[in-house]
Amino acid sequence: MGIPFFSDEWISAYKTAINGNPAYKTAAADWTYGVVALICKAQPPFFPGDVGIWLDLDRGVCREAKPVSTGEAMKAPFCITGDYARWKQVLKKELEPIKGMMQGKLKLKGDLPTIVRAVQAAQELVNSAAGMDTKFLDE
Amino acid sequence: MEYAADLSFLFTSPTKVVYGAGSSRDVGIELAGLGCKRALVVTDGFLQKTDIVAGVVKSLGASCAGVFSDVPPDSGVQAVNCGAEMGRAQGADSIVSVGGGSVMDTAKGMAILLREGGSLLDYQGFQLLTRRQTPHICIPTTAGTGSEVTYFAVIKDHESRRKLIFGDHHIIPDVAILDPSLTVGLPPVLTAATGLDAFSHGLEALTSAQREPISDALGLHAMRLIRRHLPAAVKNGSDMVARGQMLIAATLAGAAFSNAQVGLLHAIAHTVGARHAVHHGTANAIAMPHVVRFNNDVVADRHRLAAEALGVDVRGLSDEAAGLALAQSISDFVSEVGLPITFREAGVPEEDLAACAELAMSDGAIVYNAKPVLHSAEVLGVLREAWSGT
Repeated sequence: MGIPFFSDEWISAYKTAINGNPAYKTAAADWTYGVVALICKAQPPFFPGDVGIWLDLDRGVCREAKPVSTGEAMKAPFCITGDYARWKQVLKKELEPIKGMMQGKLKLKGDLPTIVRAVQAAQELVNSAAGMDTKFLDE
Repeated sequence: MEYAADLSFLFTSPTKVVYGAGSSRDVGIELAGLGCKRALVVTDGFLQKTDIVAGVVKSLGASCAGVFSDVPPDSGVQAVNCGAEMGRAQGADSIVSVGGGSVMDTAKGMAILLREGGSLLDYQGFQLLTRRQTPHICIPTTAGTGSEVTYFAVIKDHESRRKLIFGDHHIIPDVAILDPSLTVGLPPVLTAATGLDAFSHGLEALTSAQREPISDALGLHAMRLIRRHLPAAVKNGSDMVARGQMLIAATLAGAAFSNAQVGLLHAIAHTVGARHAVHHGTANAIAMPHVVRFNNDVVADRHRLAAEALGVDVRGLSDEAAGLALAQSISDFVSEVGLPITFREAGVPEEDLAACAELAMSDGAIVYNAKPVLHSAEVLGVLREAWSGT
């Protein structure tokens, strides 16, 4: 029985997973560019409303992870938006997030070169999530 | 060669292409076809004084909302903001860009602001837009960037001294009018550099990590046309056959890399261009053989396809040897069309190569390189070879 995708409980567990991933700590050691927010767009009936996640990342550590409104999420220096189905692909490691941005499967607000420079850290964020026991609501 | 059973790809190329000598005179018809009534013509100061822009304005007739000609060679955020302001003031509902990559990319930025309002910096990101932008007709006067069919716009923020890359399917131009007679006046050096830029788009699309069958076909045919016709276009700028093939090739290669993306070569060219004002096409031409050698252990089979397209005799060679033959063939091609073959000749100081390598690691293109590039030392190795020519 996994934790429901993008629920408050999942967000809290995600912070633990990030901070428990030594590869992320190493890959993101130079990350000083602030918060990365994620928005998952609603996909009724199993994902009824938009959900934002606020990840306060600094030098390989997730200092805070919390649910936020999409309006708040868009105020972060970096905000990545995608449909439920796309995030599911990311978490199942079927879609590499930076390539997904280039293809239009995910939308990035923020400075692309900064994100590109952190490609390994981004991959480890995905690995952290992929290692969690997530319950996808359409399965 | 075959594609994998689990192949999965996207291909988008919605631009209507109109080709033919004199076709730029049909811009008024194309504008009406888009349902637009007032087009702002965007160009540069040099072209504005030529018959090229005069012909476009004449074709538009009463549909011309004005001409914005303050697009500098290395266009920036300010030009986009000023142009959009003029477009709003003139009640423009569409844009016709006439020029090279800088003009077309500036017009793409203006298309965003005319639809969405605000400042260009508000839209920094990737695939951020949610609707079609202002209708845009491109009339390229160079055969190189392929910007007339791509979803990219590269615009400089002179304040922060950075090149901003906007990538969005909603800014792909609606119509590209390819009129080879407009490229006749392009000087030999620019003809060569822009032609090699288009060639590099075909090659990198063929080898990129996001390569796919449609872009393969477009890229390979573009390379064939360029290898055959660029020398003639450089030698005799009035050769309308060569000019036409080059314009077609640039558009084919543009559609290829707008989908399959480019890689390390473009990351290097963007960086060297930004720091040392080396023409983008020239930078691509110089670094190309060295990037081929760097990637050869991963995509030698793809390099064989490119070599065959160029007419290199690879019979009896292993894929790896065919890849090395391709690299040599490209070097010879670059020399043949009169471009420098080292960054040293192009005026890049050796002591800045390390800084270039670091900066290249932040370029979006590098994500798509055939061989993953994880450390700036790898880029520095390629840059050193391209600097010395060894």
